[in-house]
This record gives sequence, structure tokens and C-alpha cells, in this order.
Amino acid sequence: MRAVGEFSWLLSFGDAEEQRANERARAAAALLRSLAPEGLVDAIPAARTLFVEGSPAFDAGVLAGLEAGGEALPPPPRREHAIRLHAGGEDLPEVCAALGLSESAFWEAFLAPIFTVGFLGFAPGFAYLYGLPRSLRLPRRRTPRIKVPARSLAMAGPYVGIYPAVMPGGWNLLGTAEGDFFDAGRLPPALLAPGDTVRFVR
Amino acid sequence: MTERALLVRKAGLLTTVQDLGRPGWGALGIPAAGALDPEALRIANLLVGNPEGAAGLEITLQGPTLEARGEIDLAVSGGAFGPDPGRLVRLRDRGSIELRPRAAGGGSARAVVAVAGGIAVPPVLGSRSTCVSAGFGGLHGWPLRRGDAIPVGDPFAPPHADAQAPELPASGEVTLRALPGPQAELFGDAAAALFYSSAFRIRSESNRIGFRLEGPPIPCDPAAAEELPSEGTALGAVQITVDGQPIVLLAERPTTGGYPKIATVVAADLGLLIRAQPGARVRFVPATPAEARRLRAEREERIGRFAEEVRSR
Repeated sequence: MRAVGEFSWLLSFGDAEEQRANERARAAAALLRSLAPEGLVDAIPAARTLFVEGSPAFDAGVLAGLEAGGEALPPPPRREHAIRLHAGGEDLPEVCAALGLSESAFWEAFLAPIFTVGFLGFAPGFAYLYGLPRSLRLPRRRTPRIKVPARSLAMAGPYVGIYPAVMPGGWNLLGTAEGDFFDAGRLPPALLAPGDTVRFVR
Repeated sequence: MTERALLVRKAGLLTTVQDLGRPGWGALGIPAAGALDPEALRIANLLVGNPEGAAGLEITLQGPTLEARGEIDLAVSGGAFGPDPGRLVRLRDRGSIELRPRAAGGGSARAVVAVAGGIAVPPVLGSRSTCVSAGFGGLHGWPLRRGDAIPVGDPFAPPHADAQAPELPASGEVTLRALPGPQAELFGDAAAALFYSSAFRIRSESNRIGFRLEGPPIPCDPAAAEELPSEGTALGAVQITVDGQPIVLLAERPTTGGYPKIATVVAADLGLLIRAQPGARVRFVPATPAEARRLRAEREERIGRFAEEVRSR
């Protein structure tokens, strides 16, 4: 655990496997929220860390056990989503060529796993999903796009994500997903939350 | 009481409704937003008899021209904009105010306008702040436009006609105290020495997400930077881009990100940065957590004293 500002801290989870480290970061976030210590402002799990922000009333002593204790925690509540997708993303031909797969073989492999929301960021409602088979992974595009269409289903490295709105982005566009992934006027405002699972259907 | 409002006759360069933001939604990727200069917002609100966190208008470089519907008291803090910054201004029905910067180029780049009764747009996720990067909150999710009618609430308490707000400094030469960032070690001693001894300039592309600085490239091992997993980002974190240029992350920064961060500007010094004009020179000096806490305590004391002063009138 290290202080990264006057009232903010990063807890690190050093497991070899990123998804396992993320699981522990999410569990620690859930535990911290359930403890509801005085002055807790925000707790943001990410790939390998939990970022904690407090007010001056926050006592960072409560964080001491969380880095070690993430393991034994019960999994926090989660929702299961079935998200319909439409193929035809701009990068799909290039992606299939790079992987040496036909489009139908690509989708067969892509639709098999159940994905897990590891964390959000980049933009409101933008979720980083774990579960992409290793055989499908490609780096992000060399040159990012200035405008990615809303609801674009995309992948980069180990992650799959859905762009909730029109925004710049450098991931490989595979298709379009159905759903309203961010609506500030709704509770919860983001469709996908850390720990939720996603099954893609066609 | 009749419906009071401010009509936007000229929008200004970037005028947004802001309060103290909506922290707590970071796990869903939602930035806190809120006034870049919370100290200015709190002081302006105290002048007009509002709670410190009531919603006001954040104005940028060239402020708006506003026309009152109904009698409206307002006050500007954080910069010399309009006829009487730091003091109460009373607009009669149909009266208007031009919030032009008074000292061309030399003064503050940003200020906050508080309105007695607060800006009465409906809160979204607990705050009236505009999240410009995602287009929600505020009046319609975006910066104000000509012709907008900004709803104004009923006054909370009598304003303080003869109070003079403490001035918040604005300068073309800014020194920011900074704590080590989460990747301080990744940069090494030579890069840190360069970072803390160089002068940077504020680029005009700076915005509510972050202030982009320009200076000698700060080297960082590209392989190590590429490997860096996404992590939550602190207000004031100084991330270094692939071409070695610093960005100071502000209220609308993405909640997680994977660029290496060499330092974190102490909260009490962020106002100096956001009030500085594009082109102003910025230096960083190392600080300790104890110093950062002391600076924040001093700021709270300053605001507390002013709150006492206006209350005792």
C-alpha cells in the first residue's frame, strides 16, 4: 500500500495472473465499502490495484489488512448479463486475417466464454471484460480512431469492451452490442459493474 | 416568488454549471467533475449567503454576459472578471453583467460566479456539476450556449453586501508542490531531477480533464510504461505521456488509466495551476505528505475565517 496523494492510496495485488489480482482488488473494494469507514470518498478497483480516496476524516489504518486479506472474502453480489451482438465491425476482416481464422471460427471462439467485468474507466460505463481466449488476443491498433461509434464491441490485449458513446479509441472494432451502457439519469447509471458476468449472444 | 433566471446573452469561451462534484462513482468510470477551483466556489457562495457547495458557474478566459430575470445577487471569486470581483453585485430585473477579464492576459484564467440561491438545475447522481467530457449534468450536459436560461433558486440567506472576499493568487509563474506519484521509482533519479528542475509551459489544449504542459521530455523506459496496468488516478496526478510531456490530471480525468505518474500536485496548490493563463510557466518542487496536509489545513482555516467574518456581519 502506498500513499499517492494527501488523501489517496493505492493497494496492490501482486498475483502473477492479472485477472486473479483484479478479483482480489474487487473483493477488497467490496469489503471496504461494507465497512463504510468514516471519510471514505471512493474505492476504485482496476487491473491490479485498488485506489482509495478519503476525506481528511478518513483513517488509512483501515486499509492495512486489505492487501493481504483479499483472498478469504466471499464474492460480492453480481449481475449476469446476456448481451446481443451484431458482427461487422470495421476491423473484423483485419482481426480474422491476423489471427488466421475465418469469421465463423472467430465468433465460435468468441462466443464460448463467460466474460467477467474486471473494472471500469476510460469513460463512464466503459467496462474492461476478462475472459478473452488467448488465441484471440491482439494488441490495440497502432493509430487510434478519433471517433468510434457508440455501442462498438471491441478488443485489445486481454480485454473486451463496449464503447458506451461516441468517443476516441484504439481498440479493434468487432461489431455492435445491444444495450444502453451508460445513462446518468438511471440507477445504476452503468449497465456493467465490476464483478458482473457477460455472455455474448448473436 | 417569481421564477428567477439568468439569460445567457454571450456564452463566453467555456462556461459550465459546477458545484463540488460527485465523488464516489469512480468504480463505474464516472469522474467526480465539480469546480476546478473549489476554494473560489466556496468563497463566492459565502459572499452571496449560499451554502459553500451550492452550484455556480465556472468561467474560462472570456466570461459570459448574463441578464437577470428577477432581482439576482451574484459574486465572482478566483479571478478579476466583471466590474467588481470579490464583492457582491446586485442585478435588477433585466439588468445584465459582462464577465470580461479585467486585466487582459495578466489575471486569472478561470473564476467562479456564485448566485444567491444557487443554480437550480436538477442534480444528477447527487451533483449539479456538468461533466463536459461525457455530456451530462449541469443545464443540458454541455457548456452554456447563447440563449440558455439558467434557473436560479430562492436565496438561502441574506447576502453580505459589504464583505470583500480574500483574493486568490493568479500568476504567470507558478510553483506547484508535489508528492511522489505511484510510478515515481519507474522514472529514476535523472528523470526526477529533470522534472523538478525544469520550467514547463501550460499548453492551450488544457481542459477540465487535465492541464497539458510542455517542456524538456521526461524520459521513461517505454517497455516499463507499456506494461503498466490501468489503475485509479488521483486528483493532481502528473502523468507523463509517451513523448515525455506532463499532464496534470483534474476533475474530469478518466477514473482509471495506464500512463506512468511521476508526481501528485498537492490539492492546495491546484488552484494556482488552474488560474494560470495558457503559456504561463510551471515548476514543480518536492513536498512531504505532512506539508501537504498542513497546506490543506491552512486553506480550510482561511475559508473558515471568511465564513466566520460573513456570518458575524
